[in-house]
Amino acid sequence: MSLISISFLIFIIILLIVYYRVKPEYQWMVLLLGSIVFYAWVRPVYIVFIAVSIVSTWYLMLKPSKVRWILTLIINLGILIVFRYSIYFNIHSLIVPLGISFYTFMTLGYAHDCMGKKIEPEKNLLHYALFISYFPQITQGPIGTYGNMKDQLLSPHAFDLNNIKSGGYRVIKGLFKKLVIAGRLTYYVDTVFSSPGNYAGLTLIIAVFFYAIELYADFSGYMDIVCGISYMLGIKLTENFKRPYFSRNIQEYWRRWHISLNEWFKEHLMMPAVTSGWNRKASKFLGKIFPKAKKGNLRTVFPLILVWIITGIWHGAEDVYIGWGVYFAIIMLFSVCSMSYMKKLKKAIHWNDDNVFIKIFTTIRTFLIVLLGEVMFRAHSLSDAFMIYKRIFTTTKINGGSIMASLTPFGNGNQAAASVIILTVLMTVLFIVELLKEKNENAFSRHRYLYATGMLVVMALFGVAGQSNFMYQAF
Amino acid sequence: MKKTVISLLTALIVITAAVAFKNVYSCEIPIGNRGIRAAIKEGDLDLLFIGSSTFRSNLNIHTLDEAVNDRAFIISYGGNQYAATSIQYDEIKKRSKAGYGLMVFELDPLMLTEEVKLSDSRVIWDLSFDGKRALWGKLKNEGNAGLPVMYEYFVTSGMDDLITYPVTERFYSTRYYKGAKTDDTKSSGKEFLENEQFDISDSVLIDAQADAVREVIEKCKRDSQPFIFLESPHYYRLEDDPVYVEYHKYFVDLMNEYDVECVYAHDIDFDNHEPDFYEDMSHMSSKGRTVYTEKLVDLLRSRGLL
Repeated sequence: MSLISISFLIFIIILLIVYYRVKPEYQWMVLLLGSIVFYAWVRPVYIVFIAVSIVSTWYLMLKPSKVRWILTLIINLGILIVFRYSIYFNIHSLIVPLGISFYTFMTLGYAHDCMGKKIEPEKNLLHYALFISYFPQITQGPIGTYGNMKDQLLSPHAFDLNNIKSGGYRVIKGLFKKLVIAGRLTYYVDTVFSSPGNYAGLTLIIAVFFYAIELYADFSGYMDIVCGISYMLGIKLTENFKRPYFSRNIQEYWRRWHISLNEWFKEHLMMPAVTSGWNRKASKFLGKIFPKAKKGNLRTVFPLILVWIITGIWHGAEDVYIGWGVYFAIIMLFSVCSMSYMKKLKKAIHWNDDNVFIKIFTTIRTFLIVLLGEVMFRAHSLSDAFMIYKRIFTTTKINGGSIMASLTPFGNGNQAAASVIILTVLMTVLFIVELLKEKNENAFSRHRYLYATGMLVVMALFGVAGQSNFMYQAF
Repeated sequence: MKKTVISLLTALIVITAAVAFKNVYSCEIPIGNRGIRAAIKEGDLDLLFIGSSTFRSNLNIHTLDEAVNDRAFIISYGGNQYAATSIQYDEIKKRSKAGYGLMVFELDPLMLTEEVKLSDSRVIWDLSFDGKRALWGKLKNEGNAGLPVMYEYFVTSGMDDLITYPVTERFYSTRYYKGAKTDDTKSSGKEFLENEQFDISDSVLIDAQADAVREVIEKCKRDSQPFIFLESPHYYRLEDDPVYVEYHKYFVDLMNEYDVECVYAHDIDFDNHEPDFYEDMSHMSSKGRTVYTEKLVDLLRSRGLL
């Protein structure tokens, strides 16, 4: 069921009514039933695979042991690999279960936490089933942890009009980002990336920039919608974005972009890898090659490479995703390894991190590094990505002709000027809102009715109809 | 709760007002150099072309104007369909008191294979509310009128132009003169034209488009409006495509059935193998446009149509 559909609107209204009408102790059952309906809506057969994952993991983790942990990994990763990556083995007939990458990570996170005794294994199968299948987070996350979600999902929630209002406001904000900003950028981005060889540097630069905004507006818009819906039910989901494009270095960027996925990797892959025996041996070996390097830094080298390659593969087994993972692994490694030298250098040149110009410079620098990576993330193949880099660096000219040429992907020339003006206004508004929120988290907390009214009007008149799919649904 | 209701009601009122304004009055908003309203404002015309972007790209308005003492105009929309052309004809006849010497409709065989859809938001912008409803009826009859399409058609389409009108109209009006393109269009070169991909193999005849051609013919005959159909020469690769040839034959048969005068691409001695003349398979460069229009005017004169 798409979040942007009449059927979902009806579904959520019915669910809210039933949820707040039943006895509080039955609320979690309503959520479970609603989640099953939501999940089975498109293809009821999806239920089978998620059920296998839920039942097997729940059962195996009742009494955690090494053997049971390995079995859990085999079952869950087995299902994920068969479905998500079958296409790469020329098996095209398999229907990829909705949200499989996300719920598999939640499942494995739960099992890993049970193994590490961070949480008590859940005795009630249905409670655990609700955690995995909770409908706002099943298709695109956020990847919640059982420790954080359990009490919220299972405890009773009294009806609170403020929750409905705040949640509703957040839903409107998410829809605005998706339908007005991301929706309007899609056409330009798709047109250019489908045949990048036909476009000169300036058009490609604009397309890459638009893609970065589109991806953010789409994904964070989705998060706003699901967080808003969940808030209406009295359940607070993990935040997944914290204005990532204002990050001042690449580590910070990854702490602010797709937060739950990166936290998951840190918790369940990076930390175990750093402390593992094989990594200790590997870092000793590296220490012989780089005797002056800090031990702490050397220990992160192989885990970083591992985490970033897996992050890439998690998005898909295509060369572009692996290339994207390797790109960020290299950037992160460089960043970690050069940290001590940079500190000395900064001291020598009296570099002041709090200087406003330095802040602007480092923010733009980080954004540009991210943009270069996004080229690989969006291109159809690595060869396309390299062609885009090459054309950006060799064919970029700024003159009347190239500016006019950069308008052609807007489609019919008769709409180009209007599209440019509206997009410029929208992106400027988005930038100012995010900037003010960056300075003060509570900005825009007053006059919300006014903003909501404005967003509804703009959305209705300037939104792009028929945008029911979100970009991260593909993962 | 009161604030929420006020908020929702305010949004609803603003949205309804904007949508109503756009749908009822868009055709009355002054548009400089293109579209139905601008054509009507010109008064009596000896030559009125109604077609797609091919017309505005392939016809040199100055050459046409010279031939008819400045009484030529081109109404064109991106991918303009016959289903829309038929309604555009009604709009002109209903809203204009002027006389039209010769109406020239586009003969594009591949347009017969296009699903009835909204090809250009300017199509709706230029129609009166009745015209909009009539075109919507055609979309509905063809089963191409789902909720998202309806939303686009009546709500969002043309809204960008409306809100940015004070700024963009000035820009657009410099790009057109009496509906024709004024910019210097360069050829895309032989390499591009020889390699540009197009696939028309899946084309199927859409009856509604053929019926709309019949409608146009019957309406012109009913109104004793002189008219012809004009086929612009496409770059030879497209024109030689078997699918193009097949639908061209269908079009010729249709014209013969109604005994309609036509100017086919091959009636004019124009070299459609010359890459310098083309921007893409259908649209000409400035050079091609000038050469072609001169030859077209000669032919129309020789047939006594001018």
